[in-house]
Amino acid sequence: MKAKAKPLYVSLLAFIALAYLLLPTMNGDYLYTIQDNNVFINGHTFMKDIISHYGGFGTWAACYLTQFFYHPWLGSTIIIACWIVTTLLTAHLFQLKGKWSPIALAPALLLLFNLLDYGYWIYYAKSPGFAFQPTLLTLFIVLASCISKQLLHALHILKPGRPTNIAIPIALCATFTAISFTVGTWKLDNHKSSFLTTLTDKNFHHEMRMYRALDEFQFEDVISEMQACQDEPTRLMVVYKNIALMHTGRIHDMFKTKNHGVNPNVSDSLTIRTSLLGGSLIYYHFGQINYAYRWAMENSVQYGQSFKSLKMLARCAILNKEFDVAIKYLAMLKNSLFHREWAKAREAWVASSTLLIQSKEFQTLSPLFNEDIDRLDHDEGLCEKFILEHFSDLTQAQSPLLEDVIMCTSLWYQDAYAFCVHFHDYVNNHPGQPIPALYQEAAILLGTAESSPITLDRFKFDTPVSTKYNQFVRDYNQLLQSGIDNEEMGRRLKGLYGDTYWWYYYFCTDFNFY
Amino acid sequence: MKIKNILSALITAAIIASCNHPSVPANAEQESRLPRITPDYTEVTVPANICPLNFAVQEGATEAVAKLSYPGGELTYGDGVKVQIDDEEWSLIREAATGGSIKVEVYAKIDNTWKAFKPFNIYVAEDSIDEYISYRVIQPSYVAYEKLSINQRNLTNFEEKEIYNNMAVSTESVGQCINCHSYKNYKTDNMLFHMRQGYGGTMIVNNGELKKIDLKIDETISAGVYPAWHPTHNLIAFSTNKTGQSFHTKDLNKIEVQDTESDLILYDVDNNEVSIISELENELEVFPTWSPDGKKLYFCSAEFEYHIDTIAKETEMIQRYKEVKYDLYSVDFNPETRQFSNVEMIYNAADSLGQSVTLPRVSPDGRYLLFAQAEYGCFHVWHNDADIYMMDLKTKQVQKLNNVNSARSESYPTWSSNGRWIMVASRRDDGNYTRPYIAYFDKNGKTHKAFEVPQKDPNFYTFFLRSFNRPEFMIEPVQITPKQFTQKAKEDAVKAKFAQ
Repeated sequence: MKAKAKPLYVSLLAFIALAYLLLPTMNGDYLYTIQDNNVFINGHTFMKDIISHYGGFGTWAACYLTQFFYHPWLGSTIIIACWIVTTLLTAHLFQLKGKWSPIALAPALLLLFNLLDYGYWIYYAKSPGFAFQPTLLTLFIVLASCISKQLLHALHILKPGRPTNIAIPIALCATFTAISFTVGTWKLDNHKSSFLTTLTDKNFHHEMRMYRALDEFQFEDVISEMQACQDEPTRLMVVYKNIALMHTGRIHDMFKTKNHGVNPNVSDSLTIRTSLLGGSLIYYHFGQINYAYRWAMENSVQYGQSFKSLKMLARCAILNKEFDVAIKYLAMLKNSLFHREWAKAREAWVASSTLLIQSKEFQTLSPLFNEDIDRLDHDEGLCEKFILEHFSDLTQAQSPLLEDVIMCTSLWYQDAYAFCVHFHDYVNNHPGQPIPALYQEAAILLGTAESSPITLDRFKFDTPVSTKYNQFVRDYNQLLQSGIDNEEMGRRLKGLYGDTYWWYYYFCTDFNFY
Repeated sequence: MKIKNILSALITAAIIASCNHPSVPANAEQESRLPRITPDYTEVTVPANICPLNFAVQEGATEAVAKLSYPGGELTYGDGVKVQIDDEEWSLIREAATGGSIKVEVYAKIDNTWKAFKPFNIYVAEDSIDEYISYRVIQPSYVAYEKLSINQRNLTNFEEKEIYNNMAVSTESVGQCINCHSYKNYKTDNMLFHMRQGYGGTMIVNNGELKKIDLKIDETISAGVYPAWHPTHNLIAFSTNKTGQSFHTKDLNKIEVQDTESDLILYDVDNNEVSIISELENELEVFPTWSPDGKKLYFCSAEFEYHIDTIAKETEMIQRYKEVKYDLYSVDFNPETRQFSNVEMIYNAADSLGQSVTLPRVSPDGRYLLFAQAEYGCFHVWHNDADIYMMDLKTKQVQKLNNVNSARSESYPTWSSNGRWIMVASRRDDGNYTRPYIAYFDKNGKTHKAFEVPQKDPNFYTFFLRSFNRPEFMIEPVQITPKQFTQKAKEDAVKAKFAQ
């Protein structure tokens, strides 16, 4: 008996090792993001809201278990335990023994595959608790089939010890149903597998890790993550990186680091929107609290409530001094398992304005609040574009940081007109003070152009800047005359000028906001 | 009679004995102020047939007890910090207190010390309220919408049911939005609501028969939006609106919903015909509502002339949003000839006060007119300064209803069928989520402090992340089932005809 069971246990052990490797070890950020896009609130109102739908109890249970991915190893252990039970029950149901017994792992393998098959769909899947739903459903069906089988035995319809004509169809139906739900239910038309995205798309993981670091105001981690990126980053990563530079006093380094982003690599019909992935957090870090609140609300309406949205709604309400509604969101978060302490810390800010003002969040963001300046506008879902246009258009800054943000966003957006106006004001506002090299680089380029609204040649630029610019113009013209294309020219000039604004201006021109 | 009284007393005793009532804490420290409770039911006046007023004590307490004293008895309640009153016992308390009051003494255990707060009263009016209300349950959304429904709630108990839920027809690629619902004379055999986008159309119940109509015709700028059933004829006045949204970067009003164009139309339900009431070029006409005799139509209109040729109307409207101010008008109507005549401005809010009036509603006796008023605009649910005002149509005197209003937005005022209760959509709880509040309007024309529609769980409103929009009174539940509405919604809409 012992010898016959061995292949199952050996394969089960191998599966467990594989699952731990693929889940918490390689995809801990992915699991954390799944829970962040999920919600579970202890209490009657949340439960009633969820279980009022078909299959509601299962959804409610799935939401409950999904929150354990907050600690990826803990959540993984729970889901792997479910898969182990499913496997053992499957083996029992089909009476799989000996060398055929590892077949019982088929549902668990499919469930593991399914969990990793979401890729960017983790942001778009609307079914609450989607990560745990197939697992619980499969477990339920296999368990129900086992109980049915035992009942049939008890009623002497089936003879114990061997499969019968009835047991096999039951088991097959159960497995078929489980697999159908596991693999098929959440997907939309034209959906292709995202398994490879989850496993191999490094930017997908960089984005998740950068989001979390930014969410926790760990700006050095954001910058380190960007530095670890070997390939072309996504635009979202560029924005995250620039925010981190902005909040660490290095906004001028924006163009010395990768500032050209590409669209995420998705294999199917999915259209990625930064407004969903990180729009709310981006607005928040730029001090645009109403717009951060708006996108947290929009996303929770369209894709379901989440811890991510609830936290954002709460922190926006606090910074907007809308304390009554902040308390509401915090009360909900306090009724969660793993976001309780986060909520309690912010509850203290609500109770004490001193604590709020002393908080890192307030200290970091308040220099960006342009008090008394309100605009009625809309972003058409393109938050990076809106941020760039909004700040480029501002005419007055109430803090040195905001002054820099206005200058740098006009450069980031390559709005020559806006920059020249801002540069003129900047020089007048800082008489006798040295002008940052970045602004000189930009001014020497943009201020001498024919389209410039203000002639900047009356300004005296530092010699190294003017010399390097003349050298750049010479090299650029030489390559231009040689007839090579712009892309190749960019590659050749990157070594010498890749950290200058000129290189960004000439070779990072294909903005594609999404 | 004696036997009846004895039986009644026995039943009362049995009910009370079957419930667990905490004892009032001894030696509680006296507090000179009222307790902070949610919902705030201190010194409110409630209808003679309202459901239990459950509440939670918000003093950072770990336990609370409330003693309710009423003519002929007293009872205590407390479960943690919640005070939830048994339905049967509440009936006894309420009936005993009708025309009088219930005295409520609240005790709260704070930092292991019991405190007794200043008692308050709940006044029980002799007037009852319409049994049902309905409202749209929707997240306080901006552009996106997903799950929303129109629900009906029985005010004499806690029963709530869906009238229609958009998820029954929404698909992943095509969603559906549900708009304003309306009833003829508080009854549901003539009612309507509108659906946009997927399976769009106006669902009209005409003498119990359900139809789906497409009210967008070439001659109108949109389908019907804000509706008003004529009280005596099968006619519905609608506004037609071209609406857009934009967002404040700083202002806590957050959203501005604006009409770049709006007109008024009349829909003849029996003949399926649309005719124009008003489509003046530089006027934005909206929010029609009938007088109870059906001989006057009230509406709001803002004079707005576009004068920047180089930009789109929507952009100009956004730039000049604070200039959009609505006045209140009436126009005479002859239901037999269907003729409108004699347009009269009855409240000049824009020029004389620099204010904007929206959402008028006439009392069932035709004497008073409620409306919302704020500094500008037509979407006052997002305007914190929006308050409810009342005009005496005899004297044209206007008064702000301080007992109904709060520091936050109040909008969508409406009357109960007996004219004794005013319901509004209020954001006073937290500024972002709309809740239905009801205020007593007594025979002397005085309003009393508004109370929030009670829920079984007093913490319900805290944990519920959706708004209750456009609350309406009904004297009966909707008869058409959600399934019937869903089936009809999936059918093609019948196109309305234009009547010259």
